[in-house]
Amino acid sequence: MLQRYWFGEIDEGGCRGAGTDPAALAERAAALRTGMESYVPIDWEAARDCGVVRTREEYVDLLRSVCTVLARQKIARAYQGRDVELLQMVRMLDELDNVINLLSERAAEWYQVTNPSFSRKYRSLPAKKMLGIVRKGARGGLSDVADEIERLAGTRTRLMREVSARADEVMPNTSALIGGLVAARLLSRAGGLATLARMPGSTIQVLGSERALFSHLRGGTPPPKHGIIFQHRRVHNAPKDVRGRVARVLSAKLAIAARLDYYRGEAVPEFLEGAQARIDEAGVEA
Amino acid sequence: MIRLGNMLVSPGEGGVYGERTLDGYRVWDPYRSKLAALYTLGGGVELTPEMRVLYLGAANGTTVSHVADYVETVYAVEFAPRPMQDLLEVARRRKNIVSIMADANRPDEYAPFMEAVDLLYQDVAQPNQVEIAMKNIVFLKPGGHLILMLKTRSVDVRQDPAEVLAGARAGLEQRLNIADVRWLEPYHHDHAAIVCTLRE
Repeated sequence: MLQRYWFGEIDEGGCRGAGTDPAALAERAAALRTGMESYVPIDWEAARDCGVVRTREEYVDLLRSVCTVLARQKIARAYQGRDVELLQMVRMLDELDNVINLLSERAAEWYQVTNPSFSRKYRSLPAKKMLGIVRKGARGGLSDVADEIERLAGTRTRLMREVSARADEVMPNTSALIGGLVAARLLSRAGGLATLARMPGSTIQVLGSERALFSHLRGGTPPPKHGIIFQHRRVHNAPKDVRGRVARVLSAKLAIAARLDYYRGEAVPEFLEGAQARIDEAGVEA
Repeated sequence: MIRLGNMLVSPGEGGVYGERTLDGYRVWDPYRSKLAALYTLGGGVELTPEMRVLYLGAANGTTVSHVADYVETVYAVEFAPRPMQDLLEVARRRKNIVSIMADANRPDEYAPFMEAVDLLYQDVAQPNQVEIAMKNIVFLKPGGHLILMLKTRSVDVRQDPAEVLAGARAGLEQRLNIADVRWLEPYHHDHAAIVCTLRE
């Protein structure tokens, strides 16, 4: 039986080596297709008899170079996808949100200690206004921190716009249905556009509500109606009794949109029109 | 295996992932590495200097680096690009690691690079772990060993880990003799180590 290995071919007639240049060997090896029925693992001495290497050490060395070349190529290819950077961007955005909230909370606590008469109660003080008061009223370290938080908030806003714009470009159909930011979060939770495009609508519907989903599967609590997609106004503004239906219809259309984004990579107006109409229809109370 | 007191260690150049060193040996932490946990609990297959190992699910190369300290050659297979970057860096400094970027589900992808190995070590977070192991025993020498780190939660989160283990045992026994099975408590939860020998 003919066996094709990374260093050459072997059959009853003997062995034909494929040279000793790692790049050339890698190119050849990448094109090899192996049938496992008649496969026999390599005996490294065959490579020596082929004249490709002289010692075991040389064999492992050359094999390592070939495999490293191949791995680097594959890594580069995996990072080529336009969704890879978007993924990092949206994760950074969510992390910034977290950090800003934590810091603001802590700054407010600190400020209250220095101003015993101050309280946030009955004043409907959003974090941003609160921060303004702290910046004006505080001195030293606390005021420095408040300045930093303000700056971070600016960074966050700019990054959010960037994420949204990038999502419109990378996943035009999904973004058109649910907005760039939420689309990017779906992408982040799925782990990539390829994965998202292979998900059924029902999975997309509950992406981000894994805790509720598994507590439902384990112990019969009610199933979640929506995960990340709740962040879109279409879902959270829908009347409660139709919200589940909106979420279901929307996620079914999102599944199609994600596939269009992955396989075509451009907006498809005929699909979007129909999908928008269908989702709006689901939001009308019977 | 080398132990200093009751601490598992491996000989080799340190500083791979910030591990402690003790008398020039690298400490192999059972809380970080499932294989170290197995050895610490008294199980496993003795790693020897002439061994060739196929390591499925190499991840960042942390455990791989310790295995490489003991054996002749490690074929380290990893699928995801991000950990692969780290694995390549580990392999750059350890000349007996062959790092292969491929899917353990598709042994035909890396078959052209493989020799027969004495030990097949598998630690992959996939639902079909037993199937993957069975596909890969084609690379195992007769009488060679399989160490399968069964991640029961990856097989089915809803099923009782003990049942998952029973299912896995039945699957493996078709072609392998099971030598030892143990849970990796208290180091790793819901992980079982199954040590098998390939029937001659």
